[in-house]
This record gives sequence, C-alpha cells and structure tokens, in this order.
Amino acid sequence: MSQSLRPYLSCVRSTLTAALSLSNFASQAAERHNVPEIEAASSPELLLNPLTVSRNAEERVLVEPSVNSVRVSIRIKQADEIEHILVHKFTRFLTQRAEAFFILRRKAVPGYDISFLITNLHTEEMLKHKLVDFIIEFMEEVDKEISEMKLFLNARARFVAESFLTPFD
Amino acid sequence: MAAPEVHHLFHAPIADHSFSSDRSTLAVARDNNVELYKRSGNAFRLQDELRGHDKTITGVDIAPRSGRIVTSSQDRNAYVWEPSKNGEWKPTLVLLRINRAATCVRWCPSENKFAVGSGARIIAVCYFEEENDWWVSKHLKKPLRSTVTSVAWHPNSVLLAAGSTDGHARVFSSFIKGTDERPEPSAWGERLPFNTVCGEYLNPTAGWVHDVAFSPSGDALAFCAHDSSVTIVYPSAPEQPPQAVISVSTQLLPFTSLLWSSETELVCAGYDCGVYRFSGSSDGWQLTGTLEKDTSQSRPGMEQREESALNMFRSMDLKGRSGAGVDDTKLKTVHQNSINTLRAYDESGGQVAKISTGGVDGRVVVWNL
Amino acid sequence: MADFNWRTLNIDALDPESAYNFDLTTLTPEVQPVSSSDVQTLSGQVRQILRGGNAEAALRGALENAPYGADEQGKAMHLSVVTEVLGQIRQAEMTPLLQRMYKDDGGSELCDTLMKYLYKGMGQGHPSSASGSKNLTPQATGFSQVGGRNFGGGEGGGQAMSVFLSWHEKLVEMVGPGSIVRVMSDRRTV
Repeated sequence: MSQSLRPYLSCVRSTLTAALSLSNFASQAAERHNVPEIEAASSPELLLNPLTVSRNAEERVLVEPSVNSVRVSIRIKQADEIEHILVHKFTRFLTQRAEAFFILRRKAVPGYDISFLITNLHTEEMLKHKLVDFIIEFMEEVDKEISEMKLFLNARARFVAESFLTPFD
Repeated sequence: MAAPEVHHLFHAPIADHSFSSDRSTLAVARDNNVELYKRSGNAFRLQDELRGHDKTITGVDIAPRSGRIVTSSQDRNAYVWEPSKNGEWKPTLVLLRINRAATCVRWCPSENKFAVGSGARIIAVCYFEEENDWWVSKHLKKPLRSTVTSVAWHPNSVLLAAGSTDGHARVFSSFIKGTDERPEPSAWGERLPFNTVCGEYLNPTAGWVHDVAFSPSGDALAFCAHDSSVTIVYPSAPEQPPQAVISVSTQLLPFTSLLWSSETELVCAGYDCGVYRFSGSSDGWQLTGTLEKDTSQSRPGMEQREESALNMFRSMDLKGRSGAGVDDTKLKTVHQNSINTLRAYDESGGQVAKISTGGVDGRVVVWNL
Repeated sequence: MADFNWRTLNIDALDPESAYNFDLTTLTPEVQPVSSSDVQTLSGQVRQILRGGNAEAALRGALENAPYGADEQGKAMHLSVVTEVLGQIRQAEMTPLLQRMYKDDGGSELCDTLMKYLYKGMGQGHPSSASGSKNLTPQATGFSQVGGRNFGGGEGGGQAMSVFLSWHEKLVEMVGPGSIVRVMSDRRTV
C-alpha cells in the first residue's frame, strides 16, 4: 500500500461518517413527496457545503451532503489510455446494473467516474458504518482490479502478437 | 447505574414514541400506522393499531391526563384519537389547512391545545371548538422561512418554541382568547398576543435546528443543531438581549433530540446512537458523559484468541472474508442506529429520573439517570 | 411570442415566497467585508512570523484572522499562505501543536477553521478537465511523492495533498467528526 493511501482512505472514511447523518425529510416544494434533496436541489438551505478529498490530481472523492441524502462521486486513477478505457468499461458494467446495487447512481457526476447516492432509506435499512466500509473497500478494490485487467490485457496482447509473427520468422 | 431496559419492537425506524401517564401503554409510530403496546411483565406486547394516515407518521403524542393521542403525518393531516369505552380508538380529523407535510406534534401542558410544525413554514396551533365539535387551527407564519422540525411548550402553555431548518430557534406566543388564561409575565414577555416573536436565536455556525426544549421552570431554552452543537439561551427581559447565550460545540455527530433532566442538566441523543449528558448553568455548560456502559474492558483479548481460528474459517466460508477481523457489524452502543426521540419516563418536581429513547433501529430503551 | 417556450419557465424562481428563493445570507451571521489589500498585509505578516521560525504562531495568526469576507482572490491568497505554513511543520510536531491549540480558549473554532482550509486545499486540485480528456502521459502520477516528508513549499500537486491528508488524519483524531460536520454546515466559507 502506498504511503498516502492509508491517510486518504481514513480521510474519506471520516468525511463519509460525518456526512451520513441523514433524516427523513418530506419535500418542501411538492406536497406528499419525499425526494432526495441533493438531486432535487429545490431549496438551498437544505444543501450543505460539498467537500472534496483528494490524494493527488488524479484521484479524488467529492462528497455532497444534504438533509436526507448524500452523493459520493469517485474519480479513479487513470494513468494512460488503456486504463481510461478499462475504467470506462468497468463503471459501465456496474452502472447498467444500478438497480441491483441500491446505492449506485446510474450516471456519474460530470468530472468523476462513478457516483453513489445514499438516502435516508438506505441508512435506515443498512448500517451506516458498513456502508462506509463498503465504499472504502470499493475504492481499494477498483484500483487493484484495473491494474489486474491491464496486466492480463498486456499479457494476452503479447502472446497474440508473438504467435502471429512466429511464421514470419 | 442499573442496566437500561431494551425493547426491540420491530425492524423498522421509529419516528416518534410516547408513553401514557401510567407508563403502561406505549404508542409507537411505525411507517403509516401507530402501534399501541401494552406492558405485560417486562416486555411490551402489541395491543392495537391506529390506521388512518396515508403517509409516514412523523409525530405521536399521548396527553398525560386525558389519554388522547394526537398523530401527525407527511400526508398533511393530523388526527386526534379518543379512547372509547370498548377499547376502540375514534379518530377525529384536525383541520390543519397546511399544504405540506406535518413534521412534529406536541400537546401543551394544559392539554387544551396542541402545536403541529410543518414543511409549509407554518406552525398550526389547534384547539377544540365546542360549537362545531371539531379541532380548528390558527397559524403562526412569520418569520418562519423553512420547514419547522420541532416544537416545545413552555410550562405556562402559551409560549411555544420552534426549531427550523432555517437555522433559527424561535419562541412564539400562541395565546388564544377563550382557550387560554392570561399567562404570568416572565422573562420572555408580558402582553403577548398571538404570533408575537419573543425571541429568535441563531447559532454562529447555523446548522438546522433538530430539537428545542424549555427548562423545567421555563426560564431557559436549549436547542441542538446539525453543526454538532447545543446552545442554551437565558433570556433577561422582553426586548432586551438575552442574559447569556452559551453554545457548546461537541466532537460527536449531531444530536437529534434533547431533554432537560433538571435546571442544570441536559440529556441529548443523536446520530452517535448514544445518550449524552451536559451540565452547567448560565455561566457555562459542558459535556459530562454518556449513559452507555463502558464495555471496552470486558475480556476482548481472551475471546478473540479462543475463537479466532474457527471464526476465520467460518467467515471465509460464509462471508468470503479472509480477515480474522473482529465482527464489527454490531455497534458497541445499545441502539444500533441513530436515536430519533428522547422522552421523560419518570419525572417528579422538575427532576427526571428515567428517560426513554426511540431509534431508527426499532428499539425503545428506558434509561436510568 | 411563439419562439419562447414558456413551459420551460422555472416558476419557483420567480415566486419570492417559494422555498427555492431562500435567502442564504440569513444563515450567516455578520461577516465583515475584507479587502484584498488587507489580506495581502496579513499574508505578509504571517510569512514573516514563519520565516522567523515560529510556525505555531504563524498558523494561529493565519487561522484566527481567516478572511471570511474577502473575495475569491483574497481567499485563494490566504489559502496559499496557510498551505505554506502547514508544509513547514514537521510530522512529529503536528500532534503536540494541535493539542496545544485545541486546549486554548476558542481552540475548537481554530481547529474548525483549520479543517475548512484542509478541505478547501484538497478541493483546489484543478477541476480535472472533464470527461473528454485522455491522459496521454505514461507515467503513473499517483506514486510520485515519497511519503509525507517532502515539504518543498505548497504549490499544488501530490505533495501538498499528502500534507493535507496527514494533517487531516491528526486533526480528526483530536476533534472528531463534529468538526467535519461543522465544516459542512457552516455557510461562512474560507
């Protein structure tokens, strides 16, 4: 684990624990409705200041809290073109199955790779500290997965190239 | 300190709960209905269910003397439930005339009025009109600018404190001619027509106010806000700046509910899932401790070593987790999710000896102070 | 008249009573407007104290006089001063310094202000040129800094971030999540 990964993850963990103080709040703009206020953004006083946690220019997490919902957006490290494509495919795979995921948002916030929308219903059904654990684990695993995929991709490409060019030797 | 009495009623959030005056009946808001539990021995058993609301119930209050239950809900309605001879509860719709959700409801100490806070930026103070045999409301509008999150009555049943998401805690006069008697002059004001604002208080960090409460004598007001602070206001005289406004910022997550257990002690609970005490006076307040038992010394090392090998393989099999980490699914506090409401359970002469808390985890716990 | 699509009018924005038009200035208490020149003089003073070797006093001075009322440039200037001061303090001295600051009168406000600057500093990394850009540089930018010991001034990039992250860790140990909640809810932004 790199030197700055641990403080980065613990910073994200404490920020999320603070942001996940959600309560059931009925909409002020539409009667008999209960909407995630961060998405509806109908009343400015219900939204809190968004916080960014960044490890460097390439990896950051944006936490946008409000009274009954929190939006967490993650930008995953993409060092070169191949990683860029892999991240895109990986996040597409997840976001297209967002319903089964519960807390995943179908579209990422512009500027970020993947977004989660956690509402008071989720914190009521699930344990808050486990939700935070999940997001932290997700951030750790994604980096590993992308690197693994890249390695396999390179290995396969090398093998194919070798076997293609052997007859011409 | 005796152990707290835990009643795990169900696996759904409890928005509000209330005990009857003899503490044998517990009314609990569960989703769209109110469930009434009767005490049998050490536990509470489901006795009745009050159905009538279409949307989530946000407030339940049982009037101590008359036994009437008032409920408010996100469907803009409030009902008053009267107990009848054969044990059935008869609901009466209250004309609130609000066009947004009702967020909280409380009977006044003299039980002839109740106040309902709402998302329509209005507080509806409701009283019973004899000629027409229904409950009508008068609105407190100015200067509320956002949803009212909580209401609390002063012992004289005329002054009403309200906390709102616009960051302010305000004290209003809800004097209704014909229903109320003229109150004694107090530090909050003398001649108080309806909708007079006796005080408006803002925290410097201006978080949404989650709960307000008057002290047992009514001479001080405390409110807790989303910026993890508790502010206590001591007024001096009407139209004068208050004698003292003390704001205590805590290191914990915000509190959602608070209660005065005596003139110099406050009990608060919130997103940390634990109950905390504050004590102080007009000179200053500080956090004095928590009501949770300190379980950190109870044999952690021994248990871990004995079961670690078995647990490791079991967790690998069941949960796919290869770590021998401690099972941290269960929180160390009694409540497993945030606490929503704090009520006085055992009170005598301004001193509270027991309190009850209801939380998002579906538990109602009675604590000894 | 036919060109204008009146269905797209946001009726809530035009209604002065609606929740959309909540006046956020009512939530912030009085903030004195501070001119940029004031901020500059303050920065100069803080830098001088820092050069004199007393990093703790420099940090206190910078935090106590945080320019809530300044405009964007003033605030950015003050942020760079704070970053410089934070970079100059060694790892070993962070915790004792924070403890001393916290125990003082009004210490928790200073710590809250410090927390605000940490988050603002981390948010400063350029809003990464959004979705279309492809990063063609082959080297991995995430590993260029070596731990938290390279304090070569606080000019953006990975080094400053690791400074902020290590300060954040130490600060949260001391003040707990309450401080983070206050940063979120306090409308007076640095």
